[in-house]
Amino acid sequence: MSGLLDVFRHEFRRIFTVKSAFSVMVLGAAFYAFFYPQPYLNEALRNVPIAVVDRDGTQSSRDFARRVDATPDVAITEELPDLASAEREVYARRVDGILVIPQYFERELLHGRPSPVALYADASYFLIYQRVAGAVAAVARTVGAEIETARLIAIGVDPAIAVVAPDPMPLTAVPLFNPEGGYATYVLPAAFVLILQQTLLMGVGLLSTLPSADPGEGDSRRRRPPPVAIVAGKLLAYLALEAVILPAYLIVLPYLYGLPRLGGILPILIFAVPFVLSVAGLGFVVAGIFRRPVRVQLILAAAGLPLFMVAGFSWPAEAIPPVIRLVSYLVPSTSAIDGFVKLSQLGAPLSAVNSELLTLCALALFYNLIALWQTARQTKPADPVISESALPTS
Amino acid sequence: MMARSHIRPGFRLVFWREVGWLRRRPFLLGLTTIVPLAQMAFLAAIFSAGLATRLPIGVLDLDGSNLSRTIIRMVDATPDSAVAVRVGDLAEGRGMILSGKIHGLLMLPLNLQRDVFAGRRPEVVFFYNTQTLTTGNLTVRGVNAALPTAAAGIRLSLRTAQGQPLEIAQADLQPIPVQTHALFNPTLNYVYFLLTALIPSILQVIMVTTAAYSVGLDVETRYRLRILGELGGGIWPAMAGKILPYTVLFMLVLGLSDTLLIVGFELPLHGRSWLLMIAGLLFVLSCQFLGAWLALVLKPIVSAVSIGTLLTAPAFGFMGIGFPRLGMNAFAYGYGALLPGTWYLTARIDQTVRGTPLDLSWKPLLVLLAFTVALAGLVAWKLESIRSARRSSGQAAPRLGEALP
Repeated sequence: MSGLLDVFRHEFRRIFTVKSAFSVMVLGAAFYAFFYPQPYLNEALRNVPIAVVDRDGTQSSRDFARRVDATPDVAITEELPDLASAEREVYARRVDGILVIPQYFERELLHGRPSPVALYADASYFLIYQRVAGAVAAVARTVGAEIETARLIAIGVDPAIAVVAPDPMPLTAVPLFNPEGGYATYVLPAAFVLILQQTLLMGVGLLSTLPSADPGEGDSRRRRPPPVAIVAGKLLAYLALEAVILPAYLIVLPYLYGLPRLGGILPILIFAVPFVLSVAGLGFVVAGIFRRPVRVQLILAAAGLPLFMVAGFSWPAEAIPPVIRLVSYLVPSTSAIDGFVKLSQLGAPLSAVNSELLTLCALALFYNLIALWQTARQTKPADPVISESALPTS
Repeated sequence: MMARSHIRPGFRLVFWREVGWLRRRPFLLGLTTIVPLAQMAFLAAIFSAGLATRLPIGVLDLDGSNLSRTIIRMVDATPDSAVAVRVGDLAEGRGMILSGKIHGLLMLPLNLQRDVFAGRRPEVVFFYNTQTLTTGNLTVRGVNAALPTAAAGIRLSLRTAQGQPLEIAQADLQPIPVQTHALFNPTLNYVYFLLTALIPSILQVIMVTTAAYSVGLDVETRYRLRILGELGGGIWPAMAGKILPYTVLFMLVLGLSDTLLIVGFELPLHGRSWLLMIAGLLFVLSCQFLGAWLALVLKPIVSAVSIGTLLTAPAFGFMGIGFPRLGMNAFAYGYGALLPGTWYLTARIDQTVRGTPLDLSWKPLLVLLAFTVALAGLVAWKLESIRSARRSSGQAAPRLGEALP
């Protein structure tokens, strides 16, 4: 038992004294907390610039364009004579859409015929396309409803019914959990989990590959603690560190950035325990495979983006081939992002994340058993791993 | 010393020495080839099935009328949404949304049919999960498309009851139809939008960190750096010989991934392929010089790789694919402008899906060229100052035994 406490104290001290580990696990985490959210803080696109080509030039067409311009989503920044010149502005990235109001727009309306408008929206960026298309469609619907009511009254429908007629059963779409459809609210809760995983993974990987990984190493008078004490003591040290960093990331940061959080704190903290243990276990295993600090760094550096994509967050889980999905469960972030988002953003009870919780527990057990086996092998004398680590790094 | 007369110092010597290094370091070779290719294959597999269709939603039908059944049938018939379950009350639906079994809940109120025909405008409510933006938007699109179709029948009957001919009544339903054209990506294909941008982003991380690593190996000991300079017979040939083997490898990886995208996923190539290649080359070179410069100013290697990771791993958000740069705050916009990847992706979108005219294509390429030249200059300047510092301190000649790897 004292062996375990020794290991815990030793490892906890190393987190703060081994320079590269400290800079990843503490400084890196602090840096990302500020740095990562920056692109998304405005939450939504506003006033996307579009051009209008008004071939009608009447009161109705100008009125329509003005009402499009008045929406918060788009702004008409240019008025151009033809489609060709407007297209060039799109290529030059000065506008992101073109609204074409054809000739006789007003005449057709007055004749009671459908009077279409054309919208060309830049779909090389989906969010821009959504904004522009959504704004123009909404204006066309509103203006259309006004016209329809007027026409119905003209053919003798009771005005009270004519007002109702364009939309006899309105659809009220209620967005849950992210009422503004904000981008930061959507991406940050998931990204924070991934950052926690990547910094802890890299930190554990570095600590396990840098020298003096175990207390009493190189000191022949002291006995090396048993493998179970080594693994458990280190895990305790990481838990102690994450007991500060994880709540800071999943509770304090969302609060500071004004992200809604519906869930209680306790379920999040309970769910965090198997998460931290499984990530640390995976860190041991990665360190055991790659054995040198710089290799661990290089291998983990580029892994973040694919892991984020496979977590079923920005790309729907339903669209990911089942085999890939199954493999992705080997990495804690897949279950953890799902679980943490449900607990904190949706306010789900722990019972709703049962499967995620079980997966993380299984991963924690699995990786730490491997780590235990790796540690046990190292305690044997004349071990090839130790003799190799004495070679100069390359 | 005999060897001096046979082996001429210069670019080729350094180049082949580096190739030899790569062959003896399977980890480095794997990191520059197998790792990015594997990640590419992994991402391609994620996107291979195409966008999710028929996302499950729940229905709470409190009316049980002909109209409510028609609505449910129409919602189920749209490509985006599928009615997976009928729930008994709101609490049950909420629970299913929380557990992720359904993405939305359509609630049809009591007396829907009666109230619609009495002109009371009853509300149909659709609760949907926007925490996951993509799926949330897809399901609401499905419901949004289905409901007006159901309503159109009712609106039509109102007019024909007034004695309006059917075809006129139909034309009347939508006074201002909007013909929406999705420019450059008419089918809204996620592969052309997201996958094609993800691959260079991953490559950017790998290129900067491996460049920092491989150059760091030479910088680690003074003798190695000096030997590199002597083998090259000058700073520029030595730099070129050191960097070029990786440039070739990265260009091969980039070329292979683009071939997969163009042949396998039918990514359009509306622009000029030679411009795309030049942009790719400048992107690779600027990332390599950035990594090399980090290795020169930051020691040990671990720190250089750390900072390289810190700068590039979160870069995807700053490059403005998911959330466009025009919506960012000044800091994020400015930082994005400093990343080679931002400009490469701009050039890439220009030359693949957009087919931007030649005279409007130059800006991102010129920025990449400026990055390459500036970073190469910084690297050379730093090397020069290391050399002059060594000369002035008058160091002894290296002992060969220590210097050779």
